[in-house]
Amino acid sequence: MLAFVLRRAVLGFLVLWALSLASFCALASQDVLLTNRPLLPQYWTWLKGVFNGNSVALFNKPAISVPNPLAGTTLLEAIGHTAALLVVALLLVFVFGVGLALVAAVWRGSFADVALRGLSYLAWAVPAFLLALIVQKALFSIGNEYGWGPFPLAGWPGSCPPPLGLDAGVLPGCPSAGSGLSYLANLGRYLTLPALVLAVGLVGLHGRYLRSSLLETLDSPFIVTANAKGLTQRRVVLVHALRVALPAFIAAVLSDFGAIFGAALAVDWIFGLNGLGTVLVSDFPGPANQFGFTNTYSVQMVVLVAGAIMLLASFVAELVLTWLDPRTRTAR
Amino acid sequence: MTLAALTILVILLAAGGFAHELAPQGWNSIDLSPRWQNHPPAFANGNVFGTDNLGRSILVRTLWGLHFSEQVAVVGALLATTVGVMIGVLAGYYGGVSDSVLMPFADLVGGFPVIILMLIVFAFLRPVTIWDATLVFAFSLWALVARVVRAKIASIRSQEFVEAARALGASDLRIIVRHVLPNASGVIVVALTSLVGQIVIIDATVEFFGFGVDSSLRPTLGNLIANASATGIGVFNEVSLGWWAWGTPALVLVLLLVSINLAGDGFEAALDPRRRAA
Repeated sequence: MLAFVLRRAVLGFLVLWALSLASFCALASQDVLLTNRPLLPQYWTWLKGVFNGNSVALFNKPAISVPNPLAGTTLLEAIGHTAALLVVALLLVFVFGVGLALVAAVWRGSFADVALRGLSYLAWAVPAFLLALIVQKALFSIGNEYGWGPFPLAGWPGSCPPPLGLDAGVLPGCPSAGSGLSYLANLGRYLTLPALVLAVGLVGLHGRYLRSSLLETLDSPFIVTANAKGLTQRRVVLVHALRVALPAFIAAVLSDFGAIFGAALAVDWIFGLNGLGTVLVSDFPGPANQFGFTNTYSVQMVVLVAGAIMLLASFVAELVLTWLDPRTRTAR
Repeated sequence: MTLAALTILVILLAAGGFAHELAPQGWNSIDLSPRWQNHPPAFANGNVFGTDNLGRSILVRTLWGLHFSEQVAVVGALLATTVGVMIGVLAGYYGGVSDSVLMPFADLVGGFPVIILMLIVFAFLRPVTIWDATLVFAFSLWALVARVVRAKIASIRSQEFVEAARALGASDLRIIVRHVLPNASGVIVVALTSLVGQIVIIDATVEFFGFGVDSSLRPTLGNLIANASATGIGVFNEVSLGWWAWGTPALVLVLLLVSINLAGDGFEAALDPRRRAA
């Protein structure tokens, strides 16, 4: 076990180092502020800065003043916002994925099962960014420019809503983020729409796989035995069958983490959550950064965090698999 | 269900593939009369899906977008599958050193967020061409194929018919080509279809960020949606392209993805006798 953890840690650090070097060279060659010195000394300055905090402090602090409504979000805040989105979305994926599979297990072939299965194909086929835009557009037209019911269309608790729609010039006072329980309630309000949007496609893909593996498990002989021994159907499905089908589901979700993270960046930007996606888009030449300035120190951090999260996800996937499925323990 | 999906898929693939014949005027053909700028869908003048703010037919642009998206996805997926199968065979059939060197490498490449990789590569290659995007996808996604192919081939290798072929004096090449690969073809086809779907979706997301192919150079489904959203849908901007400007490529994108997934699942079921019985 120790050898396994150590091996993964060493490999992880090597990967992150190589990644940071490659991406630094790519980004700095485009950064007007970093072309006065050769790339490698610049990289060395950056690398030292990661450890003594200088590089982290320069996160999202453009040296050239570009109008960026989000300037001031620190690295930790950005990571926290993205992580909150990911955690809520993954919880939703788990709940709805298991729900989809249970509907199929209990009422196999029923109308609900077939309809949900059809919907799951549609759900996976709509990219998260497209769904986010459609949801925002739809709620904008049935609600107002700040939101629909209790759910804001964009922003993070405590952030001033970005100027939206036709009333772009008129800003209401910034709502307070609240503290304690009211902060959590606010967080829930702001995160509901983005997390749902992010989760829909993943439920469509992974929920469908869980469904078919649960149905396959329910056909196996040990389930017949469990039924014959007189266990309730609830116990058979929840304890016996689901336990067998879950590890593959969790491993599949975690191994898909690259795509999930990418989709989260897009959703984060569209819903203005001030997370890593928002910073990435505003500090790299693109639609939200018409001036075309690259802020190497910002994007570098996003790349580094993304790499670290990916490595962590694949590590956790293996641990979860080992924990839920003892057979894989001997394999190593 | 699968048949319907396959039909739609073939129609879409053919429409994209024959874009040269269907819309020979090219993706930048402009109707200069002000009446045909930002016009909603109309049956006159052939602008069935309306026009954008420059008077370009959305139908024609979507068709060309489909053409270029398909080129990226299909060529990219084919290249990735070819590389993935070769490496999977090398690692799964021969095992040993090639396995213990290639597979950690594949884990490394496969575990990487493709969107970030695109970002780094595209920072170098701006403006990105269709071929740049194709090759980047091929080089970053082969690992997914290599992993499943290796697992399948490692399990086939230990079966009796491979032993029998070897006992008859067949060479490694003959065993791989005539005995091992045909038995792994199901896995390979399924991996290929899912890869096409994945590339379409990742490509669209990357282009939505504005990091991919620029729509002023080559339209793709992703950058057509992104373009319309940068100036219209979403609540950030007042300048508005009509709903048809993003709705049409979005609809084609969703149709393409649904039919690819249904067809892929159909292949999987058809190639797996256990599931056919159930």
